[in-house]
Amino acid sequence: MNNWKISLKNLLHKPLYAFLSVFSLSISIGLLLGIQQLDTSIQNQFENALGSIEMVVGAKGSPLQLVLSSVLHIDKPTGNIAYSEVAKIKKNPLIKEAVPISYGDNYKGYRIVGSTQGFAKMYGAELLEGRAVENSMEAAIGNDVAQQLGLKLGDTFLSSHGLTENSIEEHSEAFTVVGIYKPAYKVIDRLIITELASIWDVHDHGDHDEEAHDEHGEHDADEEHQEEGEHKEHDNHSEHDLHDKDDKEITSILVSFRNPMGLMTMPRTINTNTDMQAALPKYELERLFRFTGVGVKAISWIAYIILLISCITIFIGLYKMVRERAFDLALMRTYGASNFQLFRIIGFEGILMVLASLFFGFLFSLIGLHFMVDLFKSQFQQDIILTFSADQMLQTLLIVVVISVVSIVLAILPLLKMNISKILSDEK
Amino acid sequence: MVQTDNLKFQYKKAEPLFHFPNITLEEQENLLILGKSGIGKTTLLHLLAGLLKPVSGSVMIDDVQINRLSHSQLDTFRGQNMGLVFQKNHAVRSLTVLDNLKARLFFSKKPIDLAAIASLLEQLDLKETQKKKVNELSEGQLQRLGIAMAVIHNPQVILADEPTSSLDDENCSAVMQLLQQQAEKNQANLVVITHDIRMKSGFKNIITL
Repeated sequence: MNNWKISLKNLLHKPLYAFLSVFSLSISIGLLLGIQQLDTSIQNQFENALGSIEMVVGAKGSPLQLVLSSVLHIDKPTGNIAYSEVAKIKKNPLIKEAVPISYGDNYKGYRIVGSTQGFAKMYGAELLEGRAVENSMEAAIGNDVAQQLGLKLGDTFLSSHGLTENSIEEHSEAFTVVGIYKPAYKVIDRLIITELASIWDVHDHGDHDEEAHDEHGEHDADEEHQEEGEHKEHDNHSEHDLHDKDDKEITSILVSFRNPMGLMTMPRTINTNTDMQAALPKYELERLFRFTGVGVKAISWIAYIILLISCITIFIGLYKMVRERAFDLALMRTYGASNFQLFRIIGFEGILMVLASLFFGFLFSLIGLHFMVDLFKSQFQQDIILTFSADQMLQTLLIVVVISVVSIVLAILPLLKMNISKILSDEK
Repeated sequence: MVQTDNLKFQYKKAEPLFHFPNITLEEQENLLILGKSGIGKTTLLHLLAGLLKPVSGSVMIDDVQINRLSHSQLDTFRGQNMGLVFQKNHAVRSLTVLDNLKARLFFSKKPIDLAAIASLLEQLDLKETQKKKVNELSEGQLQRLGIAMAVIHNPQVILADEPTSSLDDENCSAVMQLLQQQAEKNQANLVVITHDIRMKSGFKNIITL
């Protein structure tokens, strides 16, 4: 027998009260921890996903959309720009690297990005096996793609048009997997990377009914007749395409700068002097987080309100207990317990509830986060890597502990003024 | 041994002053204090138990003048040397019979002797109830538990406040006998305050307030 045991038995004597207090407190703790960790993880994730990309240049439209589509690969592109722009931008001495990307196809929901070798470097991705893409219709795939689709070196697959999975608009040329990247924990893990030429090749055949490819229109029609039989002819054709890259279009250009001066001047120059737009991913994402931040704040406030309510529940419960069980407590005093000991016994009851709530709250937040991560994966193809921020967690826990301890102390303070003699003689 | 000298008590300045007759009990002597309600019986019992401090006079229990002890010394002294029996509330409601007895020993800082608990439960015919909570007991069982709680720690003094007033004749004499038996076994003084004249027959020393 000890103080803790007596506290625990007191608590179990009123299971409904104990359950309600623990339940509401742990919900609020769970919400607080969960929403914070989710928010930090998503922000880290997005910021991490940028790699060394400091600016994106693409067709005019929404800068946020340009960033979401070309950097995070979760939205539709704003339009196309001329491939010749890449060379112009590269000329600028402030530019460290400018990588053209072009996309519009997918394989089983994973986006196929046509680019140059510089693309993988932007994300700091390294090859796990095989080699980087060197020729048209070769593909190097991100680690997630390889694992989820079970693709191996040498495998071939047919891409389909658009950014979501559909088998109706399948293209007819097959890609060959020549390389698989190591996990970079960035967006590249979920991409299929190929040469720019591959995208052009594929679309020259497939898109003639959607876009007016005036120059090639006739050629395409010819091509269609020969497609099945004459593969050599086709190869010649892509060689031919490579030669007049200048007429080609790409979706956007990913840019990194040599020094911050570029960041200051380039976007304005591009936005005013060309019919393209330049967007700064960091800035756009901050803007986005300001929007989502409102939701996070709202949920946090709700969690704090629940926290307050549950602490009031604990306070009322303990306070009532001190009142209702006054006789029990007075009896304990006659058994030899000191006032301080009663203080501890009832305090422990509160502390036991808070400890249980911390445990279950933590559990709730883990379950909730797991659920959210799954949701993000299935809805947005975003792998959220949970980055727990210990500082933030400790801060939240400290708030919870302080508020609950204050309510416990307030509830049991009347004990100090307890008049045992009066309580014992009031029984009749 | 219980001794009081010129004991006076007042709840508030404006209220009447209680002046109690001197009590002197040698070892193993028992005392019945009779009186109507409102006459200060419970006040006297609480003075003896150190739950109230007298305005003047002294309370000696086994050569310790308890009205001079500090609060915490009193808590310890009361827990170790006194056993209190009440009219209605006999034990802590959130604990089982067995846990109550264990807690009683724990609070008085005495070793928890399970064999002694078992034998006391046997004597008071409470063995079947040891796993039950207090509110599951019958009136008679409750009163016996109250006695068990007052004697499990081998006290020097057993103080009983109206232990029989809510009991029928049969239970009343049973409780009286048990109290006296336990007092004798522990070589303790038994002080009972009551307005229940049925108890008169069992006591040699009687004070009427």
